[in-house]
Amino acid sequence: MSKLKRFTLTSAVCLVGIILYGWIGLSQLSQPSIQLTTSPVLSQIKPFEAEADEPQAPSQLTLQASDRAGHALKNARIHLTLLTPPKTPWFTTDFPIVEGTTLLDMETLAPNGKLTLQQMLPIRGDYRLRVNVTPTVANAFAPIQETLNLSVSENWVKYRNLGILAAILFAVGLGGGWVIGNRQKIQPGEIAPQRVRLLLSGVTVVAIAALLFVNVSAEFAQSHGSMAMSHETEEAPLSDKPAKLNTQGLAVELSGDSSAMVGQPAKLQVSVVDTKTNQPVTEVTLKVTATQLEHHWGTFAYQGIPDRNGTFAWQQQFFDGAPHRIEVEVAPQAKATRQFKPFQVAQNVSVEGVAPPLQVRLIALAYFTGLVGLGLLLGLGLQRRRKQSLRLT
Amino acid sequence: MTAQSPSSVSVQRRATGWTLSVPVQSALYLSLSGLTIWTVFFTTYPPIHDAVHSLRHHTGLVSCH
Repeated sequence: MSKLKRFTLTSAVCLVGIILYGWIGLSQLSQPSIQLTTSPVLSQIKPFEAEADEPQAPSQLTLQASDRAGHALKNARIHLTLLTPPKTPWFTTDFPIVEGTTLLDMETLAPNGKLTLQQMLPIRGDYRLRVNVTPTVANAFAPIQETLNLSVSENWVKYRNLGILAAILFAVGLGGGWVIGNRQKIQPGEIAPQRVRLLLSGVTVVAIAALLFVNVSAEFAQSHGSMAMSHETEEAPLSDKPAKLNTQGLAVELSGDSSAMVGQPAKLQVSVVDTKTNQPVTEVTLKVTATQLEHHWGTFAYQGIPDRNGTFAWQQQFFDGAPHRIEVEVAPQAKATRQFKPFQVAQNVSVEGVAPPLQVRLIALAYFTGLVGLGLLLGLGLQRRRKQSLRLT
Repeated sequence: MTAQSPSSVSVQRRATGWTLSVPVQSALYLSLSGLTIWTVFFTTYPPIHDAVHSLRHHTGLVSCH
């Protein structure tokens, strides 16, 4: 082979390689994608704080589907499933029933490839957002499926209080060990102190029996895991607005589960129909809000449009065992021919709380009692050492 | 006043000694502490749960509902 032919062949191979490398690299860089943004920024998002002094607002999550060039995908349908962080029985959150469950499942039309919603995030950990974007116009773009992560850090107050509790439990154990280990010898004829100590021991046994009775009775009183707490079984009050309303030529109905249980998503749906033609109406805006009625904080909010059947359906979990109110405001779209005065439909949902699993509570009890035990052993050891040093002197 | 027999006095002494021994006293103390912890942080008994609801939700490692 001549030098010229060898050079030409080598150059051709290099050229093909460069083109292939560039094509693969370019295609990897510009894949259609879904971007998740939050408000407030991710580092500032804290999980829901029950019994908080200050009012809390749900976090805003925005999903934007883009094509290879980074342009927003038009005429998309977005299906979102929001999953809570996996179960952590060895370091539980305050809502263990919510761990590893579905918090929200919804499908909606997104004319600009964008979905914005507000959702209260109940616990710390890594949430997963399964997003499926499909075109509403056939073959407009290839469907996109992505699973996005949303990591929420724990409220520092819980760690601070845990530290304080651990210190108190250790001190209780240490004090107990110090007192129990400091047994004074019983003097001949000294009966009263011994009787007092025996009486105190007897009282301790009675207290243990009484506490055992109360706690075991409370566990058995639970019916199949539901929580028999006063505010947990509260019935939802009647809504001041109707769930079904015919007005201004529109028939709107909010339907779905009127009762729910923590850990399981409730099914809800709103539909809009033209009362004259009996045809579904799509040129309206639906503003959905879910509010906890005991302390009036918002748990979910979404503004969107109904599908071609005039319907918006979604599943959401109520993680707090208290009545909730679902309200949907129906308003005209800005450029729509049909204009009317906005109105609302509402429905109250009673939510049954569920007691944390016994296993999770027993694990935490073992940690806490273990701390007392460690303190106790240290107290006993210190007393023994003190006595030994006293004997030597 | 009735006098106790030497054997019953011996049994009583042994029972007293056992009850007041360090292991038994430690076990009683630990049991009472554990049950108190359970009652405050983990029981589902409604009056107690409602009274300490906020404390439970503000303490790490404590599950509520």
